[in-house]
Amino acid sequence: MHYFLWLEGTGFSIWMRESGLAFFSSLILHALGMAFLVGAHLATDLRILGVAPGVPLSLIRRFRPVTWAALIVVSASGVLLLVAYPAKALTNPVFYLKLLAATVALLIGRSLYRGVLRDVTGDSGQVPGKARALAALSIALWITTITSGRVLAYTYKVLMASDPR
Amino acid sequence: MPEALFEFGLRTGIHTLMNSAWGWPAVESIHFLGLSMLIGAVGLFDLRMLGVARGIPMGALHRLIPWGIGGYAVNVMTGFLFVTSAPDQYLYNPAFQVKLALMAVAGLNVLFFYRFVFARVRVCAGEAEAPLSAKVAAAVSLTCWVGIIVCGRLITYYRPPYHWCWWC
Repeated sequence: MHYFLWLEGTGFSIWMRESGLAFFSSLILHALGMAFLVGAHLATDLRILGVAPGVPLSLIRRFRPVTWAALIVVSASGVLLLVAYPAKALTNPVFYLKLLAATVALLIGRSLYRGVLRDVTGDSGQVPGKARALAALSIALWITTITSGRVLAYTYKVLMASDPR
Repeated sequence: MPEALFEFGLRTGIHTLMNSAWGWPAVESIHFLGLSMLIGAVGLFDLRMLGVARGIPMGALHRLIPWGIGGYAVNVMTGFLFVTSAPDQYLYNPAFQVKLALMAVAGLNVLFFYRFVFARVRVCAGEAEAPLSAKVAAAVSLTCWVGIIVCGRLITYYRPPYHWCWWC
């Protein structure tokens, strides 16, 4: 709580809260980044699960810059939103669920990129069962990430450490 | 109009659902999943036409589009649930009005694309560059969908609308 109090009191945190432009830009960028980050991952997972079989698995990585850009936007805007209201998220267990689900989903994405999405021989034909299971798990984790992110807005117990309710 | 929509929500049970403990966040989550699916399918297809991920055949990538249409359908339905539950918060909201206008532009762009452009895109080889008309349609589409997400997020910024809306 001391740490939250200190962070809340910094000029930057106050500016993030009080400048409508800074706060809403961060919210909007977070939503946009998430749409592209989750969208690109879902599309990849669906391809691994057999949708759009004409798309060569080994070429999907050419969309990787889009995923990276989205991840950078999502992380940066997410940190800014945390700086604005650190206690709001960090005292809420749902936030850690969101972070955990997103991290595991990203790690699965990375492992798929290093495995089945580099394998030219997999371009036509059935993808191994393990990769398909990981793709299905990835979809479930992204749904968890989105849902817990939305639920965050309804479940926080503390808005600001300096103003416990 | 707001009254009629609200009445409809009351009669059909939408109002009860949306005001239940987890109704609103649950429908919001589904709405966000729908838009992610739309961007994952339509957004990536647009990006490919604009020159990203050259090598992936556009015709093959287009097989993802039904999932994007599915996401769109889910979002029209979940969006209707929001509007019905609090019509005055949406109908008089400039962010919502711009969002609807952008959806209309995106819709016309879809008609234009499938009527005049898609046949040429479908047969392009993997490494091929999309024709200029396809690039224009893709740029319009991406701009509209990004704008639609921005407006969707801004709806909460202009809420409640009474404070600024001079014609309400």
